[in-house]
Amino acid sequence: MATLHLLSHSPFSDSRFASCLRLLGPQDGLLLSGDAVYALQPGTAQLQALQLMPDSIAVYALDEDLQARHLPVPERALAVDYPAFVELCATYAKVNSWL
Amino acid sequence: MSKSLLIISRQAPWAGPSAREALDIALAGGAFDLPLGLLFLDDGVFQLLPEQQPSALQQKDLTANLQALPMFGVEALYVASRSLSERGLSEQPLALPVEQLDDSALSLLVDRYDQVITI
Amino acid sequence: MKFAIALFAPAHLPSSRRALRFAEAVLAGGHEIVRLFFYQDGVHSASSNAVSAQDELDLPAEWRTFVEQQKLDAVVCIAAALRRGVLNAEEAQRYQKPAANLAAPWELSGLGQLHEANQLADRLICFGGH
Repeated sequence: MATLHLLSHSPFSDSRFASCLRLLGPQDGLLLSGDAVYALQPGTAQLQALQLMPDSIAVYALDEDLQARHLPVPERALAVDYPAFVELCATYAKVNSWL
Repeated sequence: MSKSLLIISRQAPWAGPSAREALDIALAGGAFDLPLGLLFLDDGVFQLLPEQQPSALQQKDLTANLQALPMFGVEALYVASRSLSERGLSEQPLALPVEQLDDSALSLLVDRYDQVITI
Repeated sequence: MKFAIALFAPAHLPSSRRALRFAEAVLAGGHEIVRLFFYQDGVHSASSNAVSAQDELDLPAEWRTFVEQQKLDAVVCIAAALRRGVLNAEEAQRYQKPAANLAAPWELSGLGQLHEANQLADRLICFGGH
């Protein structure tokens, strides 16, 4: 039962990112929105942590949040729009938002 | 067959209403006989310390309400052992009978439930 | 697929707007929304009294329009609302408060409605925090 985890807090000022990464199952997915997209900032331990995860764990980022912040999309992540976000929620067995 | 719900409570007890409102979701679900689990993670583990005195902050007794969970049919109570050790609480007796889980067991726990709410 | 959507953030936080954009995409994708449930600070997203500058996003108004046009079941948790000062006319009267700031299409009800929505839906999606 793969879970899609949603993060929306900055990984620098908040512990949700680190806690979530420790909890991920090998088939889970991670969708970054809001300030959580800062985890894709080049040259950071946070991006490195994402890159070190097994490839079986997919990483997605909400496109509007990347654009607003002028952040590049690294190879490790796939930018998604709202329709794709909805379909991901349907594809994974359940969704866990780190409120 | 009812869908099962895991509630992950991550906030310290007196940080605001989150600890109490996470518990309210559990109690409401228990009252409807739904299959529920409650996991204490990160600062949420501070909710489990015994002998707290909420009256010093003019707050209601969260511990007493947590201890009512089995009466509402919510007995699947878990705590993240890493969250305890990070906070120096590994040897600390806790106010609730909770099962300690390491990181890999936590991942399996989430898998077992149909839905999750992380507050 | 049937979705239950729960919102935990007020209208001025990005997650409230994100929840609305997501909800719109759910319907546009041919799926169904079983219920919207506003809990914790999400009750403020249903306020009738938020005033937005003319050139700024009026998210409470957008939520209201969305719910009305799509005829959705939109519930605000009564316990969370009362303690945050979000009251409809009936509750304002009951508790002798000077004003009501919650109106149709929002209904005040209990957490049982969240649990019922979860049981009816295929997916529960929560928005909140930031």
